[in-house]
Amino acid sequence: MAEDRAVGAPERLHPYFLLTGLGTSLRGMLGAYAAIAYLAVTGRLRYAVIGAGLLILFSAIGLFLYWRRFEYRVGATEIRIDSGIVSRTHRSIPYDRIQDVDITQGPLSRMLGLARVKFETGGSAGGNQEEGVLQAIPLARAEELRQLVRSRRSASAAAAEPDSIEESEPVYAMAPPRLILAGVFNFSLALFAGLFGVFQFFGDILGFDPFSRVFWIRLLAASAPLQAFLMTHQVVAVIGGLILLALIGVASGIVRSVLRDYGFRLDRIESGLRRRRGLLTRTDVSLPVKRVQAAIIGSGPVRDGFGFGELKLQNLARDEKQGDHVVAPLAGEAEVDHILGEIGWRPLARGADWRPISQAYVWTLAVGLSPFILLALLMALAAAATAWSPPADLGEMVDESLGAMLITSLIFLTIMIVGITVRWLAWRRSAYALDGDRILVKGGWWKRRIVILPLAKIQSIDIQESFVSRWFGISSMQFGVAGGSGFSAHNIPALPRETARKFRTELIVSMP
Amino acid sequence: MTAELDDFQAMAELPGDEDGPPLEHVHPGYKNVLRVRMLVIWIAPIIAAAILDSAVLEDSMFRWLPTIAVPLLAAIAITVAPQRIYRRLRYRLTDRLLHVVRGWLFHTDTVVPFVRVQHLDVTRGPVEKLFGTATLVVHTAGTHNSIVTVPGLAPDRAAEIRDVIREHIRTDFD
Repeated sequence: MAEDRAVGAPERLHPYFLLTGLGTSLRGMLGAYAAIAYLAVTGRLRYAVIGAGLLILFSAIGLFLYWRRFEYRVGATEIRIDSGIVSRTHRSIPYDRIQDVDITQGPLSRMLGLARVKFETGGSAGGNQEEGVLQAIPLARAEELRQLVRSRRSASAAAAEPDSIEESEPVYAMAPPRLILAGVFNFSLALFAGLFGVFQFFGDILGFDPFSRVFWIRLLAASAPLQAFLMTHQVVAVIGGLILLALIGVASGIVRSVLRDYGFRLDRIESGLRRRRGLLTRTDVSLPVKRVQAAIIGSGPVRDGFGFGELKLQNLARDEKQGDHVVAPLAGEAEVDHILGEIGWRPLARGADWRPISQAYVWTLAVGLSPFILLALLMALAAAATAWSPPADLGEMVDESLGAMLITSLIFLTIMIVGITVRWLAWRRSAYALDGDRILVKGGWWKRRIVILPLAKIQSIDIQESFVSRWFGISSMQFGVAGGSGFSAHNIPALPRETARKFRTELIVSMP
Repeated sequence: MTAELDDFQAMAELPGDEDGPPLEHVHPGYKNVLRVRMLVIWIAPIIAAAILDSAVLEDSMFRWLPTIAVPLLAAIAITVAPQRIYRRLRYRLTDRLLHVVRGWLFHTDTVVPFVRVQHLDVTRGPVEKLFGTATLVVHTAGTHNSIVTVPGLAPDRAAEIRDVIREHIRTDFD
């Protein structure tokens, strides 16, 4: 059976997949849970139980059929995957096309000694995530497959890579103190705002509600000493609440960091870098150097002050959830330079010829927001004027809604002014430079980033103008780069029209 | 009007790259393609307006307004817009890149170096066949701008451009 040897014997996923896969497939059916919860809440408990039972039953049957109809073969030149319950898919992945093998282990899989294997192929980003995935095979077999793929790939160049990297010094690793520090910086403003909203919503129960309309109206109407007392009282409550929220925010940041980045270790391997991380779910990912499209150094106002940043590499493939692969969650300048050096990139030139962007970056936002600012201002003024000299026939209800209107419009006004201020701060930090065979773009104030983009990786260059930016005679430049997430397109936001065109010509001329 | 056009022309020029050929218009038949496409798009709102009119506005003072106003709007759009879209769509090939300029309110000026093109299509739909045009579709590896199109080319010209670019394609990724 020569053909069988070439194609390889059929193999199945490990039977424990029925166990590990159940969690995943149950997680995917949020709609069904909503229905069951609805039934349970409305008192039809029996139907809810039956529904939940049916859900588990059908998931299990589906999973069993998937397992029964899933086969993979490890052949001489390719890996074949046959899958599909009704419509069958026969996929063959030649070894030449497999960049590397990613191994992921969830907590349950680790207990059972299983691993999820993903064959990284040249498929561009945004593609089908399920391209070449073996959901659950024994860990030993996964390691074997990885070795096999590596040896096939490097067969032409040298012998299979010895697995001695464990002993060698990691390119970057995170000790526990660094991990905790990363967690502190991981403080999420979004979560903070979310919690703040929850506190507002359930404020009455917690006795903490600075948004109470009646409260503010009475405050305005009351005499001065009482007002002062209430004010102090309120301030104390607000400060206490904010400290509590901040503590929750820091704690959750540390928990998230530890869960994701525990045991973070970056190693140099033949084709590029290898990253291992995770407390409960361990992942083992390789990043071939050839596929790195851009490097992004992210930071925040506080982290930056301590000289720390996060290094991400934009890759053709996507990382677990986001587009870019984090290769160092919290690293100093020297460490960033060291990692860049390992993939053969020059360190970030500190004395680069940074060119500023146009101040119209701020003005375009201000002009865009001006109608809303004006509206909010008018509303606030109208509300304030009516509240201070109310017409005689104004009822209690109207009185209350006036206060709400005043506060809402003031909040909107503050948000917009803060937005413009942050934009101004970001403008002061924004700059770009041509650094030999690559461009450097930095910007942002709250979310700071420096992008290193090799000219060889630029696929297209757009110069865009909108009807607002045209008044200022400015354009924005946008670079088409492979991989990453669609939202994080690389761009230089505001350049005078002529400058943008000259810079583009400069880039085109220096492109390899 | 001419001043506007001059301004547009100035914006589209690449300083320092004057030796490249000037920007070209696409085939005039593209205007008809746009007209037919817009007509097709407008059919649904016209019918919806007529139904709304007869079903809801039977006795109101706005009776007949949608039935007349929506087709009128459509007629204005179909007579005015394609001419403008056509006038503002230009392209050129230099010896190393494809340059496409389009749009007015949101003006976009794209360059794609030939060596960055992954693959190329020339597509022709039934409407395009009717008016003798074709669309060149250039695929790049970029997540942004993964597809750059040049619509409204004469089929021979589209094939010619395709052949020029094809010469330069080479795989970039291992």
